[in-house]
Amino acid sequence: MEFFSTKLNVDFIRWMRPMVIFSVTAIVLSVALIATKGFNFGIDFVGGTLIEVQIPEAAGPVDVGRLRDILAKLGHGDASIVRSGPVEERSYRISLLGSQEENRDLSVQIVNGLNENLGAEVTVKTIDSIGPRVGSELRTSALYAILFSWLGIMAYIWFRFEWQYAPGAVLALIHDVTFTAGFFALFGWEFDMNVLAALLVIIGYSINDTIVIYDRIRETVGLRGTAELESVVNEAINSTLSRTILTSSLTQVVVIALLLLGGPVLRGFAIALFIGIILGTYSTIYVASALLIWLSRRYGHPAPAKTAGRARAAT
Amino acid sequence: MSLRARWIMIGTITVLMAYLSLPSFFSQEQRDAGHWWLRSDGLTLGLDLQGGVHWLLRIDSETAVSQELKRLKSSLEGLAEDAKVALASAEVVGDALELRGDVPGLRKIVDENLEIVDAAEQDGALVLRLSARWKAEVIDRGVNQALEVLRKRVDGLGVREPVIAPQGAGRILVQMPGIQDTSAARSVLESTTFLQFKEVLDSAPSKELLEAKLQNGVPEDQEIVLSQGRDGSETEALLVPRAAILTGDMLEDARLDFDRRNRPIITFQWNNDGTAVFREFTGAHIGDRLAAIIDGKVITAPVIQGKIGRNGQITGDFTREEAANTAVQLRSGALPIPLVIEEERTVGPSVGADSIRDGIRASLLGTALVFVFMAVYYSMTGMFANVALLVNVLILIGLMSMARATLTLPGIAGVVLTVGMAVDSNVIIYERIREELRSGKNARTAIAAGFNRSFSTIFDSNLTTLLTAVILLTFGRGPVQGFGVTLAIGLTASMFTALVVTRALMDYFYGANPEKLRI
Repeated sequence: MEFFSTKLNVDFIRWMRPMVIFSVTAIVLSVALIATKGFNFGIDFVGGTLIEVQIPEAAGPVDVGRLRDILAKLGHGDASIVRSGPVEERSYRISLLGSQEENRDLSVQIVNGLNENLGAEVTVKTIDSIGPRVGSELRTSALYAILFSWLGIMAYIWFRFEWQYAPGAVLALIHDVTFTAGFFALFGWEFDMNVLAALLVIIGYSINDTIVIYDRIRETVGLRGTAELESVVNEAINSTLSRTILTSSLTQVVVIALLLLGGPVLRGFAIALFIGIILGTYSTIYVASALLIWLSRRYGHPAPAKTAGRARAAT
Repeated sequence: MSLRARWIMIGTITVLMAYLSLPSFFSQEQRDAGHWWLRSDGLTLGLDLQGGVHWLLRIDSETAVSQELKRLKSSLEGLAEDAKVALASAEVVGDALELRGDVPGLRKIVDENLEIVDAAEQDGALVLRLSARWKAEVIDRGVNQALEVLRKRVDGLGVREPVIAPQGAGRILVQMPGIQDTSAARSVLESTTFLQFKEVLDSAPSKELLEAKLQNGVPEDQEIVLSQGRDGSETEALLVPRAAILTGDMLEDARLDFDRRNRPIITFQWNNDGTAVFREFTGAHIGDRLAAIIDGKVITAPVIQGKIGRNGQITGDFTREEAANTAVQLRSGALPIPLVIEEERTVGPSVGADSIRDGIRASLLGTALVFVFMAVYYSMTGMFANVALLVNVLILIGLMSMARATLTLPGIAGVVLTVGMAVDSNVIIYERIREELRSGKNARTAIAAGFNRSFSTIFDSNLTTLLTAVILLTFGRGPVQGFGVTLAIGLTASMFTALVVTRALMDYFYGANPEKLRI
């Protein structure tokens, strides 16, 4: 079976200008959103206590209001309480943001308080409690992780390709991460450790996609020279298009399986990946290749190597 | 390499990896049964999958420093007295020790005896602070003591394969898989369980009555302790000396046991010094009462019936759990410096089981969809890619079992994602072969060109993705680290399977008659 039996020839370059404008706007908006609205950080990053309990039938009818009253009585009126799962499961998530370091036994006190006031023993599903110090350390190391991956990839591409390729690849990664993070800020989705992991996977996926096309551009330049770089890039994108669509859909299929069946813990992770894979595919064409064309026009593209397909260090 | 040599290599790797991954599909009981083909080490499940308690603890460094300053204070008091230097007062204020009196004389003592203390004169007092090196030593020592105590206590809870390890900068990581009772887990952190034996000098049914009985008030060197019933009500007030006859640090062992009526009791054994003191005291006080006090609360105060030596027992109004926890704490001694919980993650066993079920379902669905698609889209060669994928997953599980890596929920996601991304290498190769065929090349040349021309792409793209996996592994915490491990191993394995396993299958089926190629 084959979806693309004839050679494809879509004119991607024609849409370059509007798409670049779109991407730049999206990045600016994302940064603005992150700066003003900020993330709905999970307790991983800000510290706090999260308790998920299942309340037995013996406790009688239960809803968020009743739990809120109990917590207010325990001195935690500021706790946020949401039901997790269907009503009949009777599971609730109680979260308290901010420092719990002063009170080591906070989570135990809350669980005991619930037991007393409900008149039945609740089942503790999870307790997560993060001190403020650990939270801020995790934030810092998250930032480092992303920055180091950008720098590492920049260096690698510079080494394996020519310098004109490196900024585009990294800008595409910055684009994908910022844009995805922008979605999280916009919709107020919880940003936890798993979402951070997803951002790094997006970086991995996006650079993978970019390299496949860069490699083809380099090869095509070897055959046709650099005179018509736009059309060379367009041809490279077209020749790898079937692969691009296949791989991104297959990965997306897996991500959707995770989204649907992976359970609540992985939901944020799967959503981030879903957005990121679309962006990673898009950014290869309209960020990475666009900047490559622009840089090569301005500073020139090095003459093609004699042996196409093999890389040398930048000169 | 000849095709035959490649098959031998692939076969060896596959059989080895199958052998290594096999235990992960069996229960622990089956693994322990001692079959020659079944190793006992399988994948270790992370706390998020099997349930349990995870703590990142920090030594309370302020308390550690002030304890050290108090020790320093008493040794300086001794030194000043020996040297006949006037020491008017010595006071621990925050992280400093303030000495007043003959400041130049005191300074001389400090300079002669203490090398690594920062001394400064301030408002007519000599202010001593621990140097950075000394502080680090104090914290290190605290960590080591705490590790030892925690190990004994966690052992006492009966945890299978706990992790108790220093984590740099005064921190300790504790992982207790399978622990369900969080309050039992907490008892591990109780700072001290202090056992004292004291003779009972007087007693009354309540504190007020006892105070009324003592016309001159409570003497300086004596105190009133209370014994309480289960409901917290006062049952008796006892007058005891402040100084104990014996304390828990002379204990050699303490265990949960049951008396004739099957009530939980704590049995204990003194060390040699303790035995001597205890024997002498009980011998001289037959008919008197002796109070066993734990953390300031009277547990029991029986009448001494006869001389007691090495072994004794405490009968009190405990539940089984209380007796067991108290015994563990008595046995392990005190935690010298309080520990702060910086990070706590408790996962109930049912949540873990749900996560495993969800993770496995998602993996099976994702993998099945990819398999079906590859088989339909590339027919026979698609099946080759599927074989390569299976070998990939086998290598992944095998290497993780061998490295005793921990499988977490994000780790399972990593396995599925690897399946999605690993298929990319095959797609790149197959699309290239199709392209070469379209440009008029014959099947044999197209296959060779497809693999050769794809190599640098596959190599570069996987290596950069590997870079991000390594970064995840370095900067991530807990479950996310597990994800980094899976991704890194999976990517490396996928290069091997796409370039070597698929190639060998292609050569085997189409090497002699390439015209049969269906792609």
